Amino acid sequence: MTPQDIADKVQKQFGDAVLEFDAEALDPVIKVNPEAWFDICEFLKTDADLEFDNLVCLSGFDYGAGKELGIIIHLYSFPKRHSIAVKADLPRENPRIRSIESLWRTADWHEREVFDLYGVVFDGHPDLRRILCPDDWEGYPLRKDYEVQEFYHGIRVPYKEDWEEFDTFLKNPRRGHFVFQFERTLPANGNAKPKEKPSP
Amino acid sequence: MFNNIFKKQRYYFDSEGLLVVDMSPSSAVHYQEAVQAATQDAGFSGEDMVINFGPQHPSTHGVLRLEVVLEGELVKKVTPHLGYLHRNFEKHAEYIPYNEIVPYTDRLDYLAAMNMNLGYVLAVEKLLGLTELPERVEYIRVICAEFNRIASHLMAIGTFGLDAGAITPFLWAFRDREKILDLFEWLSGARMLYNYIWVGGVARDLPDGWVEKAKEFLDYFEPMMVEFNNLLTHNHIFIERTAHIGILPADVAINYAATGPVLRGSGVKWDLRRDQPYSIYDRFEFDIPVGEGMYGPVGSAFDRYWVRIREIEESVKILRQALDQIPEGDVFEAIPRKIRPPAGKEAYFRSEAPRGEIGFYIRSNGSDIPDRVKCRSSCFVNISLIDEISRGQLVADLVINIGSIDIVLGEVDR
Amino acid sequence: MRTYFRNVYRSLITILIGMRQTWRHLFTPSVTLQYPHEKWDLPVGTRQQLFVNIDDCIGCYKCARICPVDCIYIDTVKAKPDEDLGKASTGNPIRQHVVRFDIDMFKCCYCNFCTTVCPTDCIYMTDKYETSVYDRSNGIYHFSKYAPDYAAKLIVDEKEAEAAKAAARAAAKEKAMAAKKAKVAE
Ligand code: SF4
Ligand code: SF4
Repeated sequence: MTPQDIADKVQKQFGDAVLEFDAEALDPVIKVNPEAWFDICEFLKTDADLEFDNLVCLSGFDYGAGKELGIIIHLYSFPKRHSIAVKADLPRENPRIRSIESLWRTADWHEREVFDLYGVVFDGHPDLRRILCPDDWEGYPLRKDYEVQEFYHGIRVPYKEDWEEFDTFLKNPRRGHFVFQFERTLPANGNAKPKEKPSP
Repeated sequence: MFNNIFKKQRYYFDSEGLLVVDMSPSSAVHYQEAVQAATQDAGFSGEDMVINFGPQHPSTHGVLRLEVVLEGELVKKVTPHLGYLHRNFEKHAEYIPYNEIVPYTDRLDYLAAMNMNLGYVLAVEKLLGLTELPERVEYIRVICAEFNRIASHLMAIGTFGLDAGAITPFLWAFRDREKILDLFEWLSGARMLYNYIWVGGVARDLPDGWVEKAKEFLDYFEPMMVEFNNLLTHNHIFIERTAHIGILPADVAINYAATGPVLRGSGVKWDLRRDQPYSIYDRFEFDIPVGEGMYGPVGSAFDRYWVRIREIEESVKILRQALDQIPEGDVFEAIPRKIRPPAGKEAYFRSEAPRGEIGFYIRSNGSDIPDRVKCRSSCFVNISLIDEISRGQLVADLVINIGSIDIVLGEVDR
Repeated sequence: MRTYFRNVYRSLITILIGMRQTWRHLFTPSVTLQYPHEKWDLPVGTRQQLFVNIDDCIGCYKCARICPVDCIYIDTVKAKPDEDLGKASTGNPIRQHVVRFDIDMFKCCYCNFCTTVCPTDCIYMTDKYETSVYDRSNGIYHFSKYAPDYAAKLIVDEKEAEAAKAAARAAAKEKAMAAKKAKVAE
């Protein structure tokens, strides 16, 4: 089936829950209401004409600081050889959505990853823990307004050495964004010496 | 469940950096009680043992920690813990322009850096709508990707033999892999992290005589594969060791979205190079090897290994065709000066890397820096199967199961 | 029982086949190299230690801008109008003093981007790869040809000149404002 047919079929079944369909996009994507997320996914998987048995990818994204979060899945069907993407927008404060782990087992880890990096809570997920960051990490790193914590168990997190101030490089407007990760300050042409030992 | 218990801190650093150890007897009692309560909750009897496998274990192929619940020698549950190599590639990618991300993709699957480059670059080209590339570029890309597939599979089958206790084949595989790396070094200047395939082109043209040397290598390499098979693949002890364990049925593999040799080992004939041909893969003739269950059930650890062996042969076939057909041309002419996809555009592209499908989901925000780069890594998905395929088997087989999935932790943790 | 013996037989035979391969390879030349005493020849264009031919550097910041890990630190001071700093060997005029050109080789990921974009080809990769050092600050390579005190003087001079310029501009602005005010008052 073409993406348009798939979208029509979903639209017929769920009516208002389908917010929009973008057939012009590189990967045609159906935007749905997060309330109906699980039902639409279940329909896509179990319907005899659609049979999306392969969840290729599940990713979260962020529209920008202060705006909404999003979640998108790319589906493929081995028997029918067609594909579609489905996405939903979630509020930034307390984003919740129903887990689709019971439909595709692979969503288990993908959802844990989105929870870890974006803080989206998947209701009904059996084991929602952080997966890539440590369990007691603070904040959700991939959000646009994320600020890295200063210390983690007494280890300084941002890479910074207590060396003498030298900031022309850091003032470079294009480089400003990188400071949080790669800040290192050196005196001009002198031999760099640590002023004092960084605290552990 | 267990994780929550072990997370409980018994020592920590305070803000001055001093080590504080909580040694009060009551907390020790609590700790034991909590462990007991939790084990009973989870349905484990007092006979069960929880051991940590890794992160510094040679057969976990990197820094992977498995929390294994054992009953005697039988595995009851495996919980992988990731993140020891996590560096948040995706956050980095939100701060640097499209073309500068390519060296970062090298570090995903560092054993198949060309395939990672190719996957990312094709995703960006899809986003840009850049489909017309010079013929020579396409050929060079395919040649590099296939050579790297051979190198990566050699590593996989070598270490798989090592997991099963065969040391010689590992060294033989390494010797041949070294020769491929020499070719790559001549081509790109680096042995492992090439940064060779760029958006719209490649970094350097093929040096004079490279094609001949590559053909020479293939002539040398094919008899070596026969020797390797004599040494390891047809060895009866090795077959008996691997052909009955780690059974992965096809429907489970699809449900877990396993890809690459793991999926094909279960008998599913699915390869993006044939089924959704990208680049110029539709011009070559090659087979898709699948697990046949020659010595045991389909989808065993041996089948996954066997698929890799056969894929090496198929890659040699592709390489021979590509090296014969490669045209002359300019490899730099299509490299765009500025990469600025329109705002709000998004693309997902997947391509076939040695370990499975590598997918990149890219959103643009109209500037030369991407808004979001998500890497759907094949190893990340495949390793989530480890619990499924090793439950109820011996702990010694766990090592072989990990080896048969063939993970690279750089890609799992990103 | 039969399976048992067949397995034993098969195992022995396949091991012997493997041993034959190994035995044959006992008489082929070895492929290993005694590393510190012998070395491979590296191919042309290999990517190892970076080097900057500072006489050719025009201080265009292109390399620092493209570096994906930000490990090139450059500072320049604009040449005064009456100063002539000559030309790079490729013919590009040099218009600034490169008072600082440091590369942190610990951070460098050997991606070769900087050498590709350099307009005068003055930054390039050499084939030196044994670069371990005992102190971390020795991994930062200083390429600038200016002595530290002279460089500091140049920077101070530039700052002073800039401050003077700014002051002059401010004064001119004030004057204009005053004139305007006077006009309005009239
Ligand atoms: S090689 Fe790459 S990482 Fe190293 S200095 Fe040049 S641009 Fe930076
Ligand atoms: S790109 Fe070349 S000329 Fe420009 S600052 Fe770097 S080294 Fe100097």
